[in-house]
Amino acid sequence: MTSSHPFRVLVVDDEVQLRRLLRLALEAAHYEVYEAETGQLGLSEAASLHPDGIVLDLGLPDLDGREVLRRLREWSQTPVLVLTVRDGEDDKIGALDAGADDYLTKPFSGRELLARLRAILRRVQPAAEETVVHIGEVEIDFTARLVRRAGAEVKLTAKEYDLLRYLAQHRGRVVTHQQILRELWGANAEDNTHYLRVYMTHLRQKLEPDPRIPRFLKTESGVGYRLVDA
Amino acid sequence: MTSSQKNAHPPTLRERLLAWPENWREYALAGSVVAVITAAGWKLLPESYYLSVGLIYLLGVILLCLRVGRGPVLFAGVLSAFLWEYVFIPPHFKFVIATLQDGLFFSTYFVVALVAGELIARIRAQAENERQREQRATALFNLTRALAEARTLDEAVFAALRQVDGLFGAQTSLALADETGAGLVAHFSSSYVLEGADRAAAEWVFRHHRSAGRFATNRPDGTGYYLSLVREGQAIGVLGVKLPPSAALSFGQRDLLEAFARQLALSVEREHLRAASEREKLLAESEKLHRALFDSVSHELRTPLAVINASTENLAEADPSLRGTLVKEILTAVRRLNRTVENLLDQNRLESGLLKPRLDWCDAGDIINAAVESTHDALDQHPLQIAVPDEMPLVRADFALTEHVLANLLHNAAHYTPAGTPVTLSAGIEAGGRRIFFQVDDRGPGFSPVVRERLFKKFARDEGGRPAGLGLGLSIVRGFVVAQGGEVVAGENPAGGARITVYLPHATPKLGSPT
Repeated sequence: MTSSHPFRVLVVDDEVQLRRLLRLALEAAHYEVYEAETGQLGLSEAASLHPDGIVLDLGLPDLDGREVLRRLREWSQTPVLVLTVRDGEDDKIGALDAGADDYLTKPFSGRELLARLRAILRRVQPAAEETVVHIGEVEIDFTARLVRRAGAEVKLTAKEYDLLRYLAQHRGRVVTHQQILRELWGANAEDNTHYLRVYMTHLRQKLEPDPRIPRFLKTESGVGYRLVDA
Repeated sequence: MTSSQKNAHPPTLRERLLAWPENWREYALAGSVVAVITAAGWKLLPESYYLSVGLIYLLGVILLCLRVGRGPVLFAGVLSAFLWEYVFIPPHFKFVIATLQDGLFFSTYFVVALVAGELIARIRAQAENERQREQRATALFNLTRALAEARTLDEAVFAALRQVDGLFGAQTSLALADETGAGLVAHFSSSYVLEGADRAAAEWVFRHHRSAGRFATNRPDGTGYYLSLVREGQAIGVLGVKLPPSAALSFGQRDLLEAFARQLALSVEREHLRAASEREKLLAESEKLHRALFDSVSHELRTPLAVINASTENLAEADPSLRGTLVKEILTAVRRLNRTVENLLDQNRLESGLLKPRLDWCDAGDIINAAVESTHDALDQHPLQIAVPDEMPLVRADFALTEHVLANLLHNAAHYTPAGTPVTLSAGIEAGGRRIFFQVDDRGPGFSPVVRERLFKKFARDEGGRPAGLGLGLSIVRGFVVAQGGEVVAGENPAGGARITVYLPHATPKLGSPT
């Protein structure tokens, strides 16, 4: 936590126990925690409190989580981490499309929660001057468009570099196939996930210690990729 | 005996109209035979041979008996007697019998001709009866055979009704008792619809177990004739027959219809009994399944809950050195609980029919990694070898479903084999290039033939192995693979142990050069 004042996080969940647990974990990590138990309350709290980040359960009793996101995104760019259940690939993608920044699958660990939250909160405080990113032994120099691995330069094609840069800019956060395809190949390429698979394989071969068991360039089941912020 | 009764099927209107000329033809034949004998006798024979002419007449009448019915024979007998007396017996052309001998001849002739006609007619009637009996036997035989050959009640009823249609030249209708046994439901193979007076007649028959409708004393306003199908005092249906308006129903036909109704009733009852026993069996089966599910779900949920409960209670008072162990126990129990819930949800997803695979191009290595990661803890006692060829193509699959499939297979391999034995997960293209395969090999006891038989069924567990798990794992594996157009095969690891292979259809992506 680099900022002087603590981050304020709004937890929107209808389960008391889960709210209590999230408060425990977040307060232990020096966040300031606010709670709302319905989507409606969550939206009004978000408007009055202007939290730095929102943890939103997709399964709320009053409003569909995606609807909450849609209304929130009409006026706010606050980072949102959604809580979802396994097997809800469509829900996850839907939430990400509706403006969520990342998701967490229940049951989750406190460690995961904090890592995801840290990653999405970075978005509101982008290190504008951030020119070099280190991931493991890989160093990405955005100004020089240079990638080094253990000090030695790695030759990447233009597309490979673009893909890596995009993931690095969103490191720690999930990016969907569609987001990457749209960003790198344009809106018409959204169905061409096989392009992406091929480039990802190349990137892993060039950057991962063991490309078969990637440590950094992780696949998110049925959703997209995540560059793990190690 | 009218002609309509001679034929087994009742005459149509046309036949009935033609019946009179046909009968007239017999009378004409009789008349002409008598006329020919009269003319020939008059022209060719001397006057004194008039007694011989009588014998020739008699011969003619007897011969006629072979061809025509009783009426024309009698007609010929009477006509010839009077012609004989009028033309041949002296004095000619006068109804006078002059001598006693002539009188005796004439009256004997008259009686012999009548008796001969009557006798012949009886013999013919008997033959006709015989023929009808045979027809009836054949019809019943055909019906019984059709009923026996039919695989379902519907088939049987259809066959039976079509036979009645053909045999009686009629339309037929069958209504069976509904489930409550109080109402009638028309069978689809009926050739006419029960309406109005017919419906009322059929319902009357159903309630009173007696026939009704046309040709019957009860409810004669219906256009059809209705018989009840009764088994053991219980009406199970009504058979209706609609004969053409001009046709009559003979006793023989009525009898035949009743026999048909009895056969049909037997058939229907047999089907009811079969269905009832089937239902009972299904019920027992589902009850058994239900109990098995309940037992194993309750076991699979309670065991980890008990562990969590006990460990948490101990946690507060436990020696600090033990806390790590207790927390580990809790985590293990939580994972098991989570797995049970996931399997139940997956199975439910499969059974609800809501499962729609999202096929996309996937990296087989990615799927394998995800599966290995999620089964990391279960596999800690087993060295895992992964064998994926370098040139492994992209797989067209649902990533998450395939990941679950592999995770379940890995979990099973770890669970049912002794600690320390290796597990191998391999992937590749099948020889021929049509399918991609994922294969999990273990070095455990393998599958016994009995187990292999029901391996992919719900709640099937290898009783020889460690008694744990819901027995849903492989059923889910198969469900997920089949949903993606693939196939799962259980086999043997050539090196000893079990082998399960998952096949998915293989296609090559149209890889242009993306720019």
